[in-house]
Amino acid sequence: MGEVIVITSGKGGVGKTTTVANIGTGLAMMGKKTVVVDTDIGLRNLDVVLGLENRIVYNLVDVINGNCRLRQALIKDRRHPELFLLPSAQTKDKSAVSPEQMIKLTEELKEEFDFILLDCPAGIEQGFKNAVAGAERALVVTTPEVSAIRDADRIIGLLEAGGLRNIQLIINRLRPEMIARGDMMSVDDVIEILAVDLIGTILDDEQIVIAANQGEPLSGKKSQAEEEYRNICRRLLGEEIPFMELRQKKGMFRRLGDIFRK
Amino acid sequence: MSIFIPSKSRSAGYARDRMKLLLVSERVGCSPQMMKMLKNDLIHTVKKYIAIDDTQVHIHMTQNPPVLHADIPLRAKKERKTKC
Repeated sequence: MGEVIVITSGKGGVGKTTTVANIGTGLAMMGKKTVVVDTDIGLRNLDVVLGLENRIVYNLVDVINGNCRLRQALIKDRRHPELFLLPSAQTKDKSAVSPEQMIKLTEELKEEFDFILLDCPAGIEQGFKNAVAGAERALVVTTPEVSAIRDADRIIGLLEAGGLRNIQLIINRLRPEMIARGDMMSVDDVIEILAVDLIGTILDDEQIVIAANQGEPLSGKKSQAEEEYRNICRRLLGEEIPFMELRQKKGMFRRLGDIFRK
Repeated sequence: MSIFIPSKSRSAGYARDRMKLLLVSERVGCSPQMMKMLKNDLIHTVKKYIAIDDTQVHIHMTQNPPVLHADIPLRAKKERKTKC
């Protein structure tokens, strides 16, 4: 039986879809049969980040309405034999699906896959309720900004109220030079505010944007962010991986400045 | 402090303190505005019984454990200062 994990944040634009694409790809690379499900009905996105946009025939709403069988809607990623995408519908809206239907769908996917990753839409309305209905575990994505943290806190409250206890935090888009300067909340600050367990810290890294442009997450380029996505995958598999120290690139002048500051 | 070395900015610390204050009240469904009203009501009630310094009253909530703290300094009685 597979594990159903919802990736959620409350606020939009903090990196949910990118996180799903990278973790999904990472788990598949580690040999786990993984399906990533885009539950944002009406705003399809996960397909382009994965570079699978040209292969969509059927979608999530087709499966739920019985227009096709589940197998027909699943898109197999040719680069990673263990990775599958269930795309969302473009033409319908979020009311096309009910939480009960989502539970039924995830139950069916659990028979087939080791990991079912649900990409949750932003907000706390119907789309969120649908996405979390079938989930056993939640990864809450936030950035070290006041708006994202406030929304993450709301989401954690709603998940707990809904009976979901297994909640972990991913802090995205960290900028070590700003943290060192005292102008960005640190990992410790965010954990202290939200009082929830951490599963990963991701640097604000150009490589993530480049990989999304190319539709190839975790393409193997050396970057700390991709390394950390792989670490999150290992932690999901139960390994104990220490959290990386956030390295910062420094120019000569800033190094000199550091020496004088001492 | 020095002209040559920029002093460390504190916007992150400010953000952290704001978020802690806000979220702890949001979690129990009590907005900062309601906290102000609660504080005024507390002062009003306590004042009926004891002399307090109502300019120095502070109330705040903590998360772990969830507790409402109220610091209500009493007004020192003048008679105390004179030796008996």
